[in-house]
Amino acid sequence: MVGEDKPFPTRAALAIGSLVTLVVLLAALPWLLSDYGLSFMVSVMSYLVLTVAWALFSGPTRLVSLATSAFFGVGMYTVAMLIKLMPLYATFAVALGVGALLAGVVGVLTLRIAGMFFVIFGFGLSEMIRQLMVWWEINKTHTMGRYVFVPFDATLIYEHLLGLAVIVFFVGWQLRRARLGLALMVIGEDETVARQVGVNVPFAKVAIFVVSAMFMTMTGALMAPRYGFINPNFAFNPLVSFQVVIMAFLGGLQRLWGPALGVIPLIILSELLQTEFPFWFSVLLGIVFMVIVYFLPRGVTGLIEDGWKALGRPLELQRGLTGPLVDAWGWMSRPIILPRGIAGAIEDVWVKIAPQTKGRR
Amino acid sequence: MAALLEAEGLSKAFGGLVAVNGVSLSVSPGEVLGLIGPNGSGKTTLLNLIAGTTRPDAGAIRMDGEDVTRLPNHLRVRRRINRTFQLVRMPANLSAIETVMAGVLYGAGERVPFKEAGYVAAGLLGELNLLLKADRRLDQLTYIEQKRVELARALATRPSVLLLDEWLSGLGASELDGGMSVVWSLAARGIAVVLVEHVMTAVRALCGRVMVMNAGAKIAEGPPEEVLRNAEVIRAYLGDEDA
Repeated sequence: MVGEDKPFPTRAALAIGSLVTLVVLLAALPWLLSDYGLSFMVSVMSYLVLTVAWALFSGPTRLVSLATSAFFGVGMYTVAMLIKLMPLYATFAVALGVGALLAGVVGVLTLRIAGMFFVIFGFGLSEMIRQLMVWWEINKTHTMGRYVFVPFDATLIYEHLLGLAVIVFFVGWQLRRARLGLALMVIGEDETVARQVGVNVPFAKVAIFVVSAMFMTMTGALMAPRYGFINPNFAFNPLVSFQVVIMAFLGGLQRLWGPALGVIPLIILSELLQTEFPFWFSVLLGIVFMVIVYFLPRGVTGLIEDGWKALGRPLELQRGLTGPLVDAWGWMSRPIILPRGIAGAIEDVWVKIAPQTKGRR
Repeated sequence: MAALLEAEGLSKAFGGLVAVNGVSLSVSPGEVLGLIGPNGSGKTTLLNLIAGTTRPDAGAIRMDGEDVTRLPNHLRVRRRINRTFQLVRMPANLSAIETVMAGVLYGAGERVPFKEAGYVAAGLLGELNLLLKADRRLDQLTYIEQKRVELARALATRPSVLLLDEWLSGLGASELDGGMSVVWSLAARGIAVVLVEHVMTAVRALCGRVMVMNAGAKIAEGPPEEVLRNAEVIRAYLGDEDA
C-alpha cells in the first residue's frame, strides 16, 4: 500500500485492475467449462471480435458493411489452402496480408459509394469471392474442400481469440483518443466539414476499413482449425455478415462495449432457433432483426442507460469523443441517394447538346 | 503589397447555367476584400471555387505563388485557405471544442500532439468568448455562437486566407459591432479576408476594396464609396431587397 493520505486505489487503477481480472478469468475458462461450454465461448469470442471490428468502421462512418463474411472467409480459406505448405502461424500471417490487401483495394474502389449501394456491394463482394473460389476449386484444383488437421484445439483457438479481442478493444479505445478517431467522427457527421478541417476523407475511411478488415480476417484464420473440413460455401457464409450487423445493432453502437452486449443474446438465440426451428431459422432471424431496429434503436446500451436514469441517478452522457457515436435510428431513417440511371445519362447529354436551354441570365 | 491569393479567369457552369464567368480576384495579407452582389450572382460559387469545395471549369488559383487549382479541399486547408459556410456547418454530435480540435489536429503547419490540441482549441474558443460553451453541441448554441464556433473551427487550421460567407448577416446591431471587431482583428493579425456580405455598414467599415458581382461576372471593383456610387452596381441591385 501507498501512504495513508493518498487515495488508493485510484479510479484508473481500479478500472485497469478489474479489466485485467476479467481477462484473466476469461482466459481461465477453458479449464472450468465443459466441451460444450468451451465451444459456445469460442463462438462468442469470434463474434465479439467480428462485431467490435465491424463497429470500428461502421460506427463512426455510418456505412453499413456486409463485407464481414468476405474478410472472415478470406482468412479461413487462406489458411485452409496453405496449411499443407507452411506452418500454421505462417498461414495466419499470409491470411492477414491478403485480407489487408483486399480491404485496401475494395476500400479505394467503393468508399465513394453512398449508403445503400455500399451495403449491397459488401454483400456482392462476399458472394463473388465465394463463387470464384467454388469455380477455382472445381475447375482448377479439382478439390471439393480442404482439410485442416493441425494440433490447434478449441482451447488454443479460444485463447488466441481472447487475445485478439483484447487488441481490438484496445485499438477502439485508443482511437477515441486519437487524431484519426476524431476525424472519423467528423466524417460520420458531415464530410464537407471534415474536408474543411483538413481531413483527407477517403484516406481516413480506407485506413479504418483496412484495420477493421484485418481483425475480421484474423478471426476467420483462427477459426479455420476449428472445422476440420472447409469449402468455399462454408467459409464465405453470408449469414456471418448479417449476424454481425444484428449483434451490433442489438448491442448499440454508442459505446465501445455496446456491440459486445449484443453478441451473447444473439448467439444463444440463434442456437435455439437453429435447433428448434431449423427450417424457419432465416425467417425468424430476419424478424428478430426488424424487431431490434424498430424497438431498440439504441440497442441494449440504450436500455441500460434508460434503466439507470429511471433509478433516479442520471448517468451523465458524455457527448462527443467518449459519447454517442452513432444514432442507429438516425442512420436507418436517412434518405437513400438514388442512382440517376439511364434518365440521368440522358439528362447529362441533353445539357451538353443544348447548353442554352436553361438560359444564361 | 504582393497578393497572397490570386485567382484568374475562374469559370464554373452548372449544366447550362454559368454561375461564375471568368472572374479574377486577388487579396493581400491583412486586407479585407468585400464581395457583394445580388442573390444568385455567383458569390458563394466563387468562394467554393477558391476553397476547393467545387472545381472550376476554367481559370487558375495561386496561393503564395503555388498553383492550387487542382488541389482537393483538404489540401487547400493545409495550404492555409479556409472558409465559413453561409449556413453554419458543424457536426451535430460533437461539442464545440471537439470540432475545433479536429481543425487544430489536421490544419496547416506543424502537427499538434493530440494532448495539446485541446488547449489550443480552448484558447481559440476563449478568443471568441466561447470558452464557457466549449462542451456544448450545435443544438445547445445560439445562432451567433454557432457562427463563432465555425470561425474558431476555420481559425484552428491556421489559415492565412479566410473566406467568410455572410458571416455577419443575421446579427443584431450590438452583435454586429462585436462581429465586425472580430473581422477587424483577423485582418490586423495579417490574415487576408474575403468577405461575402449583404450588410453594407460592415462592408463600408471593414473593406478597403470591394468587388461587385452580377450574373456570374465581375461588374465593378474599387474602394467601397466609389463602387457603391457606380451606376451599374445600383442597377444590379435595383429591386433586390438585400441591398
